[in-house]
Amino acid sequence: MKGLWLALFTIREAIIKGTLLFYFVFGNIVIALFAIAIGSSTQNGLQVLTFFGNQITPPIADLNPVDFILFQLFQGSTQAVILLGLFATAGLIPSMLEKGTVELYLSKPLSRTEILLSRSLGACGGIGANVLYFSIGIWLVFGFKVGVWHGGFLLASLMVVVTYAFYFSFVALSAVISKGTGLTIMLSFAYQMYAGVMEAREMLLYRLWDNDMYHRLLDGLYYATPQTSAMLNNSAILIGQLPFKSAMTPTEFTIMPFLYSFLSAALFYGGASWYFSRQDY
Amino acid sequence: MNHVEIANLSKAYLSGIFRRKRIQALVDVSLTVHPGEIFGLLGPNGAGKTTLVKILLGIVHPTSGTATLLGQSHTSAQPRKRTGYLPENHRYPNFLSARDTLLHFGRLHGIPKDPLFQRTDSLLETVGLKDWSNVKIKKFSKGMLQRVGLAQALLSDPEILFLDEPTDGVDPVGRKEIRDILKTLRTQGKTIFLNSHMLSEVEEISDRVAILNKGEVLRTGTIKEITAQTGHEIELQEPVTEDLMRSLREVTSDVHSSGTKIVLETGDKQLLNAILDRIREKGFHIESLVARKSKLEDYFIKLIKEGETP
Repeated sequence: MKGLWLALFTIREAIIKGTLLFYFVFGNIVIALFAIAIGSSTQNGLQVLTFFGNQITPPIADLNPVDFILFQLFQGSTQAVILLGLFATAGLIPSMLEKGTVELYLSKPLSRTEILLSRSLGACGGIGANVLYFSIGIWLVFGFKVGVWHGGFLLASLMVVVTYAFYFSFVALSAVISKGTGLTIMLSFAYQMYAGVMEAREMLLYRLWDNDMYHRLLDGLYYATPQTSAMLNNSAILIGQLPFKSAMTPTEFTIMPFLYSFLSAALFYGGASWYFSRQDY
Repeated sequence: MNHVEIANLSKAYLSGIFRRKRIQALVDVSLTVHPGEIFGLLGPNGAGKTTLVKILLGIVHPTSGTATLLGQSHTSAQPRKRTGYLPENHRYPNFLSARDTLLHFGRLHGIPKDPLFQRTDSLLETVGLKDWSNVKIKKFSKGMLQRVGLAQALLSDPEILFLDEPTDGVDPVGRKEIRDILKTLRTQGKTIFLNSHMLSEVEEISDRVAILNKGEVLRTGTIKEITAQTGHEIELQEPVTEDLMRSLREVTSDVHSSGTKIVLETGDKQLLNAILDRIREKGFHIESLVARKSKLEDYFIKLIKEGETP
């Protein structure tokens, strides 16, 4: 219960610090915009999707317009989740580690692991609540206004929350080592870039040196860290099957990136907890 | 069972870019704190007082040695359930009110909701912040924050209370109120471990003290033991002469004079009688004889300056 209280308090702190609130307000504006703009009409006996009265035509003929618009929305919102989520939550662990504050937490009858994981749970919970609120809002708009109750979109959004929780394991580790918000944000951005490059390692890094050991090393590094890009790309598939193949967008959903990322996130959270437990404050 | 038992505790911090610089914060510290006493830990800034308390609360890890808190290892979270702590330079989330701050830390302590509400209101009244309970603490003065901190430390009705510079930044009236709270807690059988460099306060309320300097315990004892009679002042009816002083120095070198006054820097009764005999032998008349008792502050400064060991 103490851990749960700390997690809820962390959400409250994230809201008061403003960034999460900005995300919430921004999400509401997008939901309101879609609620006003999205609609459907019948043209030549066929029902078409409209945005401010204009027909939405996907760039590829076979693509379902609803899937297309939700896919675009998903791609945009996941970027916002990672970017705004990072700004909203990167400071939550360093703020707890500030001199004068950390002593208050460590003197309570909670283990350091419990404190760190509760704080992380709160950070991810705040982001998760926002993501689900936004997704359910959009889902309801499409359901009521267009008549499409798109379960895949909700499921994909849920996977984004899971992705963020795995990604946050790196943020938590960076935070306990650096003890500063700025450095945590920089390291996390660097990690985002790393995850993107590693996701495309076969196209980019393999070509630098045609050596089997080198390729295996890259694969090892890739599987040892949470695969943020792969998880997001896989989640997008849940919205709808894209009629074109892309190296960055798989054509079929696979759970494997989530399983590998779960293991590496557990390793990162374990490492962060171990490091935190050994420190003097 | 002693509430605190520390045996041969040492702590060295490693600093510098390559962590090769070793700063010895505590050296082989051993001491005990008995149930129900107010124990004052004295020392100049950087003596290691805060480090010692932080080790007991599991915030800092010792390099060597052992410590128990309420009969259990200091590394366990269990004794912290029965412990209250007011850290030095504490920082509370400034978006909270005084009441919310206490509720937050009370919940982290595992105090159930209903008793916590009652305890919070009662403690805010005790520390004189009842009218400020719903004001955000970012508007509070240093003294008011100290009161919030004290209330926070008392939330769990602890058996042992660790207070690190509790009257820092508090005005004289507030300091007296805090002292009165501590005295009341003592009557309730609470153990208080007080870190301070406010010597007069420690002297007033502590049962026993330890003096720490450069990480080493220089002296431990009751206030009475430490501030024991340390000398005598003998006032004569005539000015002291050089011939008299020569005669007195044959008895002891711990004697000096100023005008009509002779100061004997020892509490030894035999020496006092020998000195009085010499004064009478030389035909001087004694106006008064006063036993000198050193203040804790005098003893502390002497000990720190001279680097004395017990």
